Amino acid sequence: MQMFPKQEVVAMLLAGGQGSRLGVLTKKLAKPAVPFGGKYRIIDFPLSNCVNSGIEAVGILTQYQPLILNEYIGNGQPWDLDGMHSGVNCLSPYQAIKGADWYSGTANAIYQNINYIDRYDPDYVVILSGDHIYKMDYNKMLEYHKEKNAACTIAVIDVPLEEASRFGILNTHEDGEIYEFDEKPEHPKSTNASMGIYIFSWKELRKYLTEDEAKEGSSHDFGKDVLPTMLEAGERMFAYPFEGYWKDVGTIDSLWEANMDLLDPNVTLDLKDIYSRNPMMPPHYVSADANIQNSLIADGCNVEGNLEFSILFSGVTVGKGATVNSSIIMPGAVIEEGASVQFAIVAENTVIGKNAKVGQRPEEVDDRDNWGIAVIGENTRIADGAMIKAKEMIDTDTEVAAK
Amino acid sequence: MRSNDVLGFVFADTLDDKIPELAASRTTASVPIGGKYRLIDFVLSNMTNSGINNVGLVAKSNFLSLTDHVGSGSAYDLSKRRSNLTLLTPYGGKTFSNYVETIYNMHGYLDHCREEYVLISQGNIVTNFDYTDLFDFHSKKNADITLIYKTGRVPGGYDRPITVDVDRDGKVSQVFVKPSATDEEVNHVYGSMLVKKSLLMEEIRQALSLNRLDIKRVIQDTVGKYRVYAFENKGYTAAIGSINAYFDFNMDLMKKEVRDELFNPKRPIYTKVRDDAPSRYGLNSSVKNSIIAQGCVIDGSVENCVISKGVYVGEGAMLSNCIVMQDTKIGKDTNLNYVIIDKDVTIKDERSLMGFDSYPIYIAKKSVV
Repeated sequence: MQMFPKQEVVAMLLAGGQGSRLGVLTKKLAKPAVPFGGKYRIIDFPLSNCVNSGIEAVGILTQYQPLILNEYIGNGQPWDLDGMHSGVNCLSPYQAIKGADWYSGTANAIYQNINYIDRYDPDYVVILSGDHIYKMDYNKMLEYHKEKNAACTIAVIDVPLEEASRFGILNTHEDGEIYEFDEKPEHPKSTNASMGIYIFSWKELRKYLTEDEAKEGSSHDFGKDVLPTMLEAGERMFAYPFEGYWKDVGTIDSLWEANMDLLDPNVTLDLKDIYSRNPMMPPHYVSADANIQNSLIADGCNVEGNLEFSILFSGVTVGKGATVNSSIIMPGAVIEEGASVQFAIVAENTVIGKNAKVGQRPEEVDDRDNWGIAVIGENTRIADGAMIKAKEMIDTDTEVAAK
Repeated sequence: MRSNDVLGFVFADTLDDKIPELAASRTTASVPIGGKYRLIDFVLSNMTNSGINNVGLVAKSNFLSLTDHVGSGSAYDLSKRRSNLTLLTPYGGKTFSNYVETIYNMHGYLDHCREEYVLISQGNIVTNFDYTDLFDFHSKKNADITLIYKTGRVPGGYDRPITVDVDRDGKVSQVFVKPSATDEEVNHVYGSMLVKKSLLMEEIRQALSLNRLDIKRVIQDTVGKYRVYAFENKGYTAAIGSINAYFDFNMDLMKKEVRDELFNPKRPIYTKVRDDAPSRYGLNSSVKNSIIAQGCVIDGSVENCVISKGVYVGEGAMLSNCIVMQDTKIGKDTNLNYVIIDKDVTIKDERSLMGFDSYPIYIAKKSVV
């Protein structure tokens, strides 16, 4: 096997999951490729974090609907990950002499790519997932890992106690050493939620991955199998406390909220040093009829209508007299004259016809529990005058007629 | 004739003496324009979109911002095994005082390029033009030289403009070098032409040996000797040769038909990109009829303006008819009308600056007002 110049750290980014809770938004693309924040895709955040932390070798494990993701990552140039002997690689499942296997779990996905990691002869491997929005210096976490002489370090964030039962909770001694994993506990003992960011010493991880692969009945998952086995074996495992903005964007609500957070001056997340591929479009144009308040607008947009608390991705058109409120409009979508879009996510290249109504305000709905964000899939056409209620989800590539 | 048999040869300093403020620390070609572009982006994008993959860029001085902007040419797809962007600067004590000497001094480069044809172009022209139409025309007419022209009034800044008389077939019957620009409609030649490399070098050598250093005279002399044709660029064209032309072009971007033509998605205009976030509009912002690039924070009022990337407009600021270049900060409660503000400028709170339609004020790069 050809060896490359040594990398102290290799990052492996788990991007193969379907993200089924995002419904139509992930029908044709993997969750990490979902557009975010007016010009990014979710994966720009972990990738930019890697580069900004000095990690130069990144493997992206793809499996579900990889086309858009592969194309987006390309040669890695936008993230400076196009080195001669380093950079980013999309690693899909493959055939080998012994047969072919899909990635059966997160740990198995890494196991199947041991060769990829070994080429760099790294001391440490960082495992990341592609469904969180945050900015983090992985270097600081690595220093902590070294200082603790740990086999595994898991980043944790302090969550409100009432929400703790939604997360994987890590219970630690005072010095940060983990003594117990508590997956979605009914009565949480602490508020240290796992962020799904792991640093392993590669020698140890390699050993446990190989053992786990041979173990019968294992689901080959980090959280369910590898981490508990390591803890049982008495390995030094530590929780690294992270402070700052972090949000899981695995559901429609949380994706919408995280986008809206960008419009909130009190939220600490800024988009500086987050890199992305940039479409070749002119600056956006705002007409004399437009009214824009508290919104984000990317290149190539054409705004003639009213915009409030909304995010327009590149190349979006908002026609005269149209209103967009508290919504996310993805690249190339068109909101025609007089249409109203409220509390909605409109996916790429979808057209909302004249005077159509998409989404509703919470106060417009009789039963508040049934209120939610309306979602329109990509390449869909909502006919002139049609109405889409709150929480409705419209499939991709369809036409919705007016009733 | 195939596009990959044509070498692009672009002059970066065109009319830089006519826009002394904007070109004080840069070439004409690297003057920021249209919110996120530099002038050179248009000609280079037209060339790559037309299939040209080798371009020489001639700059006589002040080319730091130009090299910084075009870099290796990768933004225009001109940095691959089979495509190149080469910056041609003075060397060996030779200066670029006129076109004839400049082209002659580049003979080493020109000889080295394997393309049979040369497309000479100017760095001050804004247009979205498909050069393959020109190549087809040149071949069909079996022309030796094809000049590009534009019918209309000669734009500001062109002293002794070149005009042509053209017959119905497109053949040039006469080339004039007018003593000055007038209000009449003419077929103005702004310095772009297609010619065989060997013919070009032969004429340049002969001109030098006759001590004819005026390129306009050289072009005039080709009529009658060669098959000289002219091809009209019928599309939207702005030739930046004065601060007013610069101002007017930026304001033209408010017109939908101009934007649609210049930024045709089938022939995109490429530029060096910066990782700017989408622009953010504050709660009390008001923006009307304006072009806004990414990375801006707009908290004030903006009307009929072109705002470049990374600009901050403070609360209570009132900007109308302004062109603001990148990373400039405009303080709170300022009032600016008809002002061209170069990059990295700071306008402090409560300042007021007024120019006039025909006389926009210019604020130099990195100034603090």
